[in-house]
Amino acid sequence: MAIRRKARRDLTAEQQLAKGPMDLIFLALVLLLTAIGLIMLLSSSFAIAMYDSYAGIHTGGNPYYYLIHQGGFAVAGLVIMYVISRMDYQYFRLLSVPALIGSIVLLLLVFTPLGRSSNGARRWLWLGFTFQPSEIAKVAIIMFFAARLSKRNDELRAPPKKWSRRTLTGRIGALLDRIGFLELVPYGAIMLIVLFLLYKEPHMSAMILIIVAAGSVLLVSGVSLGWFAAAGAAVGGGLWFIITQTSYMTKRINVWLDPTSDLQHGGYQPWQARIAIGSGGLLGKGLGNSIQKYRFLPEMQNDCIFAIVCEELGLIGACVIIALFMLLIIRGYWLAIHARDRFGTLLIVGIITLLAAQTFFNIGVVTGVIPTTGISLPFFSYGGTALVIQLAEMGIVLSVSRQITAPKVE
Amino acid sequence: MEQRERKPRGDHGKSNRSLLRRTIFLMAVMGVLVFVPLVVQLVRLQIVEYDSWKQRAANQQTQSVAIPANRGTIYDSQGRALAMSATVYQLILSPKDVTALVNKDSKDFKDAEGNFNQAAYDAAVQAKRAVIVDWLVSNLGMDEENLWKRIENTKSAYEKLATELEEEQAEQVRQFVKEQHLSNSLYLVDSSKRYYPFSSVASHLLGYMSENKDSGGKKVGAMGIEAIYEDALSGELGRQVYSKNGAGQEMMSGYEMYFDAENGYDLTLTIDERIQSLLEQALAEGVETYDVQAGAFAVAIDPQTGAVLGMASSPEFDPNSYASIVDQDLLNELAEIAEQYGADSEEYGEAVSAARNQQWRNKALADTYEPGSTFKPLTVAMALEQGIISLDDHYYCGGSYTVAGRSISCSKRTGHGDQTLTEAVGNSCNVAMMQIAEKIGASTFYDYLENYGLKDSTGIDLAGEGTSLFWSRNDFTGPYGAQSLAVASFGQTFKVTPIQMITAFASVINGGHLLEPYVVQSIRDDEGSTVYYHETTEVRQTISESVSETIRGILEYVVTDAGGKNAYQAGYRIAGKTGTSEKIELKATDPDNDDVICSFMGYAPADDPKVLVLLAYDTPKRSSPHSNYTPNGTYISGGNLAAPMAGKLIAGILDYMGVEKEYTAEELSGADVSVRNVTGIDVATAMSRLKGQGLAWRTVGSGAKVTRQVPSSGVSIPGGSTVVLYLGDEAPPEQVEAPDLFGLSPTEAKTKLEDAGLFLRPSGAASLTDPSVRAISQSIAAGTAVAPGTVIDVQFANDVDDYDVENNNGTEGIQAPTE
Repeated sequence: MAIRRKARRDLTAEQQLAKGPMDLIFLALVLLLTAIGLIMLLSSSFAIAMYDSYAGIHTGGNPYYYLIHQGGFAVAGLVIMYVISRMDYQYFRLLSVPALIGSIVLLLLVFTPLGRSSNGARRWLWLGFTFQPSEIAKVAIIMFFAARLSKRNDELRAPPKKWSRRTLTGRIGALLDRIGFLELVPYGAIMLIVLFLLYKEPHMSAMILIIVAAGSVLLVSGVSLGWFAAAGAAVGGGLWFIITQTSYMTKRINVWLDPTSDLQHGGYQPWQARIAIGSGGLLGKGLGNSIQKYRFLPEMQNDCIFAIVCEELGLIGACVIIALFMLLIIRGYWLAIHARDRFGTLLIVGIITLLAAQTFFNIGVVTGVIPTTGISLPFFSYGGTALVIQLAEMGIVLSVSRQITAPKVE
Repeated sequence: MEQRERKPRGDHGKSNRSLLRRTIFLMAVMGVLVFVPLVVQLVRLQIVEYDSWKQRAANQQTQSVAIPANRGTIYDSQGRALAMSATVYQLILSPKDVTALVNKDSKDFKDAEGNFNQAAYDAAVQAKRAVIVDWLVSNLGMDEENLWKRIENTKSAYEKLATELEEEQAEQVRQFVKEQHLSNSLYLVDSSKRYYPFSSVASHLLGYMSENKDSGGKKVGAMGIEAIYEDALSGELGRQVYSKNGAGQEMMSGYEMYFDAENGYDLTLTIDERIQSLLEQALAEGVETYDVQAGAFAVAIDPQTGAVLGMASSPEFDPNSYASIVDQDLLNELAEIAEQYGADSEEYGEAVSAARNQQWRNKALADTYEPGSTFKPLTVAMALEQGIISLDDHYYCGGSYTVAGRSISCSKRTGHGDQTLTEAVGNSCNVAMMQIAEKIGASTFYDYLENYGLKDSTGIDLAGEGTSLFWSRNDFTGPYGAQSLAVASFGQTFKVTPIQMITAFASVINGGHLLEPYVVQSIRDDEGSTVYYHETTEVRQTISESVSETIRGILEYVVTDAGGKNAYQAGYRIAGKTGTSEKIELKATDPDNDDVICSFMGYAPADDPKVLVLLAYDTPKRSSPHSNYTPNGTYISGGNLAAPMAGKLIAGILDYMGVEKEYTAEELSGADVSVRNVTGIDVATAMSRLKGQGLAWRTVGSGAKVTRQVPSSGVSIPGGSTVVLYLGDEAPPEQVEAPDLFGLSPTEAKTKLEDAGLFLRPSGAASLTDPSVRAISQSIAAGTAVAPGTVIDVQFANDVDDYDVENNNGTEGIQAPTE
């Protein structure tokens, strides 16, 4: 006991803090969801793997193809999660700048011959393995925003910049400073760059997720609510304009409201998803007994995996899985509240909000609550790098959770 | 400094509170609120709308295949199959699924960047189609151009390429489908084909199978027994339901259910194919002989049970190809129209469809006619039953009778003179009938029309029974009804269906039992157990047994000694009544019209009727307008046209039924004997042997011994025939030519034949000694070379004077029936 205490004392304060216990509830929820996700992936991908009917992936008829691949990434992801959780998250402050710059570079690389496109969108990058740089950009922006905004109070405490009252620019500058606009300029600039690059891919769903995640960090950091109201109004107006004035979106909304209006194209997938969900009933057809996965429902291993969950496990199973997600999210925010410092809080808020938004959008699309956007379900959908990055994000949360036991520092 | 420090500190606390508040706000929104609509939506889909989604899922996840039921067989009373089904196959192509055979998502149609290569995909689809088309063209001989047109119609999922593939071809198709994995694109559907082994025999009774707008691409019974017993014959379709995947393939481990098909029931008819054939032959022969213009019909029933033994109508058709015209007269008419208007003209099209309707019409069931004199026994039976006349009554016929100020003439203008009741019927005397009807009275007469069932449908189990046409009771019994009553007494101006008439007539000869006629004797299910058996159904008693017996006696007299004697056949005891009836509806528009229906209603044996036959020829051709003779010189009347044919027909039916012949002593002398051997013995012994057999003889050549005889021993020849004995070196000729006997008397015919070394077996007329009897047909045509000793059957007939209402002066202007 004495020896151990002595050993601890030899470490720096930060090092000691980083060796605290992880939040086991959060960890358990992550492991549970990852395990259930793998089982459901096997069940939903079984048929297409057997028939080898999914474009771009050649399973050779091995029904376990998807499970084996995803399983490998899951193991790697869990290892990475643990390693990251062992790191002192204060290092992420330093890491955030190169991460942001790196991710912007990666987003740019997508437009070089290293980029890969599918279904008319250029979202993938090939560097020996294929992944979406937007996944990294999400984390990088959260890290960078959290790191910078955690020092917001110090900045506010610093003496205000002297604006010349004699010049017009000086007076305008003073006004913008007073209403807190200037403070937002760097964040806005970064957002615009990243969103522009994503827009060029195009990658609508990543744009939405980045806006929501970055917005949550800005919100919690104390930025005036007026800006959110203004941004909300702007986004709402823009959406209204796009939906009503462009035929593409109008059609998309119509298909959302009534998939049968266009079963040949856009309506087929949501319609089949609803048939899968509705035919599941209260108790479902039983694990592995989905019929819709037999080449009725497209993307059943990706965006539509939750429809198979509903068909096989019924309303009860679906609600249990939703409840697990909710618990994970609530526990995440709980950890954010109890984080040792503002950086930890903002980091978790960004990551958890991202996770929650992704979950909501995916299930919302599959059940038809919101119009179709291609967002995958965390821990469930097929996609190795996405899973690794998600688990890495969970590692960051766990890393923050290790320092909760220490007294808070201002 | 202090101020500076205080302010941020305050800010700091506020900032921490806002961080906490805003994080909790996010926790509430992102952790709870956003999931509420998701769960609500799940509840809506999985609980509230569960049934409809489940149904939609089942609709697309399962495939249901109909399993056809075998259609029942129709047997005649002796178990001969008249209509039977065999399995054939429909070949269905789904161009939509042919396209789906090529997986659009396959890597083959993506370039390096994953973009879809339309050209490569189209080429692959086209190649797949070519494989199918080529195979169908080379193996099933289908039209290539047509096939391409259909297979490229990708919106269609159902193209019927063939309807009646036999098993052998079907097996080839199965092999091909298996090799090429075409399961959903090209497939066979079980179907059945109906065969009628006896072709046109009983065609009107059996009906035929065709598709109609409600049958859903399936053939169903279109008329006759096929139609009315459709439900019993067709059985219940079975169904196989199995799950399939999104590409339409059957799933091995999926849900599967099998509902057995229930095969149709087999019917056994009262119809006997042989009797039916005899009826049809009699129609064909009469139509040919007398050049009948408007068709003919014949019905044979068992008068004791009401079972219909046969029912025939001319022209007829072949249910195996029901739309083709088979009757030669109709074909000739059509050829004329085709020549006049062209084969693609509207007129020709209409003529073809009219001809079809004509050949499909079951005249014996659907048509109505005026029964004419065949009704007279019914009038007499009414009066006898009422007790107002007796066999001893005498009737005087002066050639006409005046009713309500109108003179209605008899068939014999000069009058029949004094006659007994039996003679009056035998003479077919209209005057006597009018007198009897007057005694009966209009009201009672009308009661009997109803009593005989003539105003109701008979209840026969066939569809399309016609409706009889009568006056209303008020009109008939009213002050203007007297003339109607008068002509009704001899069967004119009202119209009944042949089946009504024969049913009513049966009741008059069978002891007064009005029976429900029927054609289906029994129905058996697939396992052979009887599910229905027709018991004889008596509608009511019409007259008493004793009156019926009296009528039978009168009707036998009609055939042996009076107007019906042309129906006489030695040994058969045929009884009946002739009829020659006008067509009131034609005379109404054209007073000169002299179209008649010549009919005979007869039965045998006279004392115990086993078969009752109604045979009628509608409108025999006249040799010249208003001539009383057919082109071949026959006087146009039921007694001269229908009676001989009916006599022969009844004899044929009795022979087939195996009814023992009964000969009178007179007939016996003419009965067949088997010639004994007299060759090789002396002439005197031979002569005495032949004499002992009732045969005559003549010798040819000279010598003591008979060297050859014609006919040789064992041959049956009619009694009284002359055997030719050859003596010495004389030999009979190798062959002789049959002479033309038409118009000869029996004696002349016998002499002419025996001179040629041939023998006569006469039939037809009751008395061969009657001077007016003339040969009307012979079994071996004149000029045919035959062996000496051949027996030739010759039908004799005499002109009988039985024209009901000669020269149209009886009925015109008389109140027409209104019902």
